[in-house]
This record gives sequence, C-alpha cells and structure tokens, in this order.
Amino acid sequence: MKAAAFEYQKPTELSAVVSALRASNGEAKLFGGGQSLGPMLNLRLARPKKILDVSTLPALKVIEDLGTAWRIGGGVTHAMLEDRVLVGCEPLAQVARGIAYRAIRNRGTVGGSLAHADPAADWPLTMPALGATIVIAGVSGERRVAAESFMTAAFGTALAEDEIIAAVEVPKISADARWGYWKFCRKTGEFPEASAAVLLDPQRKVARVWIGALNGAPQSLNALAVDIAQRGFLAISDLSVSQALEPVLGKIDAAQRRLHQTAVRRAVQLATA
Amino acid sequence: MSMQAINMTINGEKIQALVEPRTHLGDFLRDNQRLTGTHLGCEHGVCGACTVLIEGVPSRACIAYAVACDGQQVRTIEGFEEDEVMAQLRTAFSRFHALQCGFCTPGMLISARDVVLRCPTADAHEVRVQMSGNLCRCTGYQGIINAIVSVIESRRAANADRVEPVATAARAPLPSFQAVANQASAAASVAPATASPTAAAATPSDTANKKPGTRIEDAFEVDHPIDVVWEAFADMPKVAACLPGAEITEHTPTSIKGKISTKFGPMRAAFVGSAALERNAATHAGSIRGAGTDSLSNSRARGDITYALSDAGNGRTRVAVAIEYSLQGPLAQFSRGGLVKEFVKKMVADFAANLNARLGAGSSASGAPGEAVAAPAGAAPMSPMDAAGVFWRWMVSTIKSWF
Repeated sequence: MKAAAFEYQKPTELSAVVSALRASNGEAKLFGGGQSLGPMLNLRLARPKKILDVSTLPALKVIEDLGTAWRIGGGVTHAMLEDRVLVGCEPLAQVARGIAYRAIRNRGTVGGSLAHADPAADWPLTMPALGATIVIAGVSGERRVAAESFMTAAFGTALAEDEIIAAVEVPKISADARWGYWKFCRKTGEFPEASAAVLLDPQRKVARVWIGALNGAPQSLNALAVDIAQRGFLAISDLSVSQALEPVLGKIDAAQRRLHQTAVRRAVQLATA
Repeated sequence: MSMQAINMTINGEKIQALVEPRTHLGDFLRDNQRLTGTHLGCEHGVCGACTVLIEGVPSRACIAYAVACDGQQVRTIEGFEEDEVMAQLRTAFSRFHALQCGFCTPGMLISARDVVLRCPTADAHEVRVQMSGNLCRCTGYQGIINAIVSVIESRRAANADRVEPVATAARAPLPSFQAVANQASAAASVAPATASPTAAAATPSDTANKKPGTRIEDAFEVDHPIDVVWEAFADMPKVAACLPGAEITEHTPTSIKGKISTKFGPMRAAFVGSAALERNAATHAGSIRGAGTDSLSNSRARGDITYALSDAGNGRTRVAVAIEYSLQGPLAQFSRGGLVKEFVKKMVADFAANLNARLGAGSSASGAPGEAVAAPAGAAPMSPMDAAGVFWRWMVSTIKSWF
C-alpha cells in the first residue's frame, strides 16, 4: 500500500502546468485533490513517472459570477461548493454535500472528478444535466466543450494529454426551476450503483433527465425529459421509464435495471413534487 | 530516489525534513516525526483511521503526500491537548463506551470535532451520515454516535442558541411547458476533439452478469470465406497481434505463453500468463482458456474465450465470440464490476476491429472499430470503415507487415 516512486512538481502558474504536461509526453499525471489518484497510487494501479500537483494552484480556486452563469475553477473543492450556495446554481451545493465524506470533499476537486471520469461520480452526471461547459486550458489557449460531450467513456474524456480543466461554467437556472437528484449507495458516501439527475426549468424551456452509474459515460433521456416537461410526474410510469432506459441500458440483469428505473423515478419525483 | 526538502507546521511546531515524494503524510508523521497517534488502516482513503487536519480541515493522511503539504499546517491527534471541544469529546467517548480497541479513535475524534463545530444542530441521523467516512469494527457505532450527539446537545444547551425553525413556503406548482428539443448547452465554441477509438468502443449494450465470472457475448461478420477465417484463427501470433498490448513469448499448437499490457484511465496492468488452446475443425469452433497475474498490482485474471465460425453466405463468415472472465486482487477491488466489463468490452472491440481489418486487408475492409461489438448477435452487416486517424494507421501498418 505504498506508492511506487514518482517525481513531484508543483507548478505555480497554469501556463507552467500545460507546458510541463506537454514536455512529459503523457508520463505525467495531474494531481487535483488526489482523492482518486491517491488510492490508485498507493495500490500501484497507477504508476505515473511524474506527479504535477495543482491542488493549491490559485488560478484554479476561483469562483466567479459571470451574470448568467457561475465560473467554477477546476481546483475548487467539493467542500467549497457545499459550504457556499451559489445563487442560481443551488443544485451544486446539494450534490456536493452527497459526495463521499467530508474529509474527501475537503480535498477532492470538481476538475479532478470530471477529468478522472468515473462513470458513477457525481459531477460527470450533474454537469451535463445543468448544461454546463467545460473550459479546457492547453498550450495554445482555452477551448470549450459542452459537458454532455466531455466524458466519452469510463475514464475517458475529451482532454488531450497536455490539457487541463481550467474551469466549469454552469448556467444559472431560473428561480422557479426544479432540480431532482437521487442516487443509490449501499453505504453512505460510496460510489452509487444507480443515479439520476433531473432539471426542469419552465422559464428557459429546458428539461433534462440524465442517468449515471452506467458502465460508460452518463446518458441523456431526452424524450422522457420533454414528456415530463409537458405532463409532470404523470409522464412517469414503469413502462415509460423502462422504454426510455432500454436503449441506454441494453441487456443487464433485472435487479440492476430496477435500480436505474428507481433512480429516474425518484429524481423526477423530487423535481416535480 | 530523490529527496525533497519540506517545511511544515505540525501541531504548532515548525519542522523541516527531507522526504521522498511518494511518502504519504501518514507514514511521514509516524515514521519521521514519531507521532504514532495517527493510525493507518486501509491506506487508500476508505477507513478514516488516519484522518488529521491539513490547513484546518479533516483530510486523509494516507492519500495526502508529505511533499504536497510543504508550507502547510498539519494537526494530529497529539495536537489537541488544549482544545475544548476535543476535551468534551474525550470525556463523552469514555462515558458512552465509544471505543473498544481504539484503533479508529484518533480518526473518529478528529472527524467528530469537525462535525460538532460544523453541524451544531445535527441530530443522531445527521451525525451518522457525517461520520460515515470513519469505520469502526468494534463498537457497532451506537456508542460513538451517542457520544457525539451528547457533546452537540450539551454545547447547544450551554450556548443556549435555540435554532428557530425555518418556515418553508409551499412551492408553487410546476407549470407544464414545451421543452426545447435537443438542448445542447450551446456554449461550446470549439468542437471537442475527435472521439478516440475508446470512445467509439463504449457501447451501452451489455450482457448479463454471471457469477463467479462475467460473460460477454458478441458476433461480427467478416468479408471472407469460412476456411480463410478458420485458418487465420490457427495462427496465434497473428491473432494476438489483433489484440493491442498482447505479446506472445512461447507458442505450441495447444498452448501459448505471453503478456497482455493494458491501460485504463490512470490504471496500467500487465498480465503475464499462459493459455491452453483447443480447436475442432469439424465444427469450426475453438477455445482459448488462460490465466495470468499482474505483478504490479498483484491482481489475477482468468479468461475463457470460445469462438465459433459459421457461413454467413456470399463468401462471408460470422464469428461468434464468448468471453468469460474473472478478476481478483487489488485491481478488482478498486474497480467496480461494470468498469472491468467496459474495459474487457473495449478489448473485444479492438480485437474484432483489428481481426476484421486484418482479414479484409484489401479494398473490401469493413467494420468500424467499436461497431463490431456494438452490433449484437445477428445484426446487419457493418458499415464501411470510415474511422481515419491513429487507429486506422496502426492497423494498416500492422497488416502490411504480414503480407
């Protein structure tokens, strides 16, 4: 349970991070809060040659009000979002509160979680459901990717080897918007076995239903969301939910299918109640 | 091994030390600073025994590295001598029998102090939720929860800060609305990078979970007659070449020895092992049954691959593949079942695409990587190869080296 030897570097500027990443030819690993990478290092499942520690990089710690959106630095911890309710982005505090345990939330970061891209993690599900945009910094500057297309597979993202998540921009929801988030964990704080997020924002004409804890990236149930916008909880039945989930789940065993159905149903219930 | 100089303030005292970057804070505190009150249990951030304060907030010492705490404040269980809340908790832990062997207690106390200060109105249920990151194998938790709740209640009584119930206004009913279809978040100014083969291989389709092994079944078609495909399957080194990361070191008609190196997110593994081969020319079916060990993670894998070829008409051959595998050790412990399954599916996808490309090396090559497994058994013929890029170039160069 001791990490294999690695070199350690703590750049003090974002530009230094991306140039160090480029220079390392894929041999370096970014260390955000280290709450997933740390265990992997200790178990020796990950053996990067070099660790680039960005856990205290000031540029990544900024939370900024952009008017219609909040820009959240990639190095902002879950605990920072738990403790500070951002007006218009209230779901973030609610989701943050449910991530693992406080000791993990104190160090784990939004950018780290998104870049790690665990299919069952909370931010990879929440960000597309809120219609967020991932701001990626690279050697040639910033580029922006919609959260819904950022995660491509289990542990796979749109990030190139020499890129880092600079920030996430989360659009503000209307005052009367509804949010529902539900996940099933066998033990509090564990990665869930099923999870779902629902956003209903009548003023902005936005309805989204996303499910997570799949084998790959979280998926959108767009048709179901449009139906819920029109009919509310009446759109939810065993049949409608299982039909919406069918193309996403494929062939899985009945117990798992039931968990995913329940996650969708309960998240919708929370949003429409 | 290169040592790095660090400065740290531990329990109010400034220290200097030389550390290896890989030394975690828990080991540093215990072995270098002789502060053995910090206990190490799981050493991968799950049990909470090593919880200390870093920059004033509870953190796992086992997954924080000492070198990363350079210039920071650390407070361990030894540093709460004068702390009022900790004194109250110590008394309460004793009174409510909140410990037996005491191994979890330092972490419990540091987490409990944070809960008392951060959640002054918590009830027993909230305390349970807040303390869920600290495991105790003796008490069954009831004593711990009672102790913490008693401290919260006595402090509330002492401070007499009555908490006014917050009036929650009833929400207005949700209006019905016409959601805008296809609500892409419109904010992306630059198209995301071209999807990698990994991305293409991620398919939502899946097969049922079977204990103890996991089974994946797939089928794909190749634009070549059954005899050509059957012949190709006999050539193990070439079959192995279709599996990225596979390497054959020894090979007889009935057995192979070799290595499969894999990368999955930040994880890397190299399974070294052997497999027994069986072929039945009469039925055009065969099997590869193997097992291997990854010495880096000390994980063990076992896999049975069975394949059956059948004539799909028009000079085409249908290949049905079933893979049953199991994984044991840290790799399995860390990654949840579905992720390993996804990983194996990616390997099957790569294999199918490569095999297809290899057999169809001429102009009639078909089957985009990923689609090979995306298509369930009996699916329509695959779309023509359209995936340019690295993957395709890699296959072409591999194929060219054969013919």
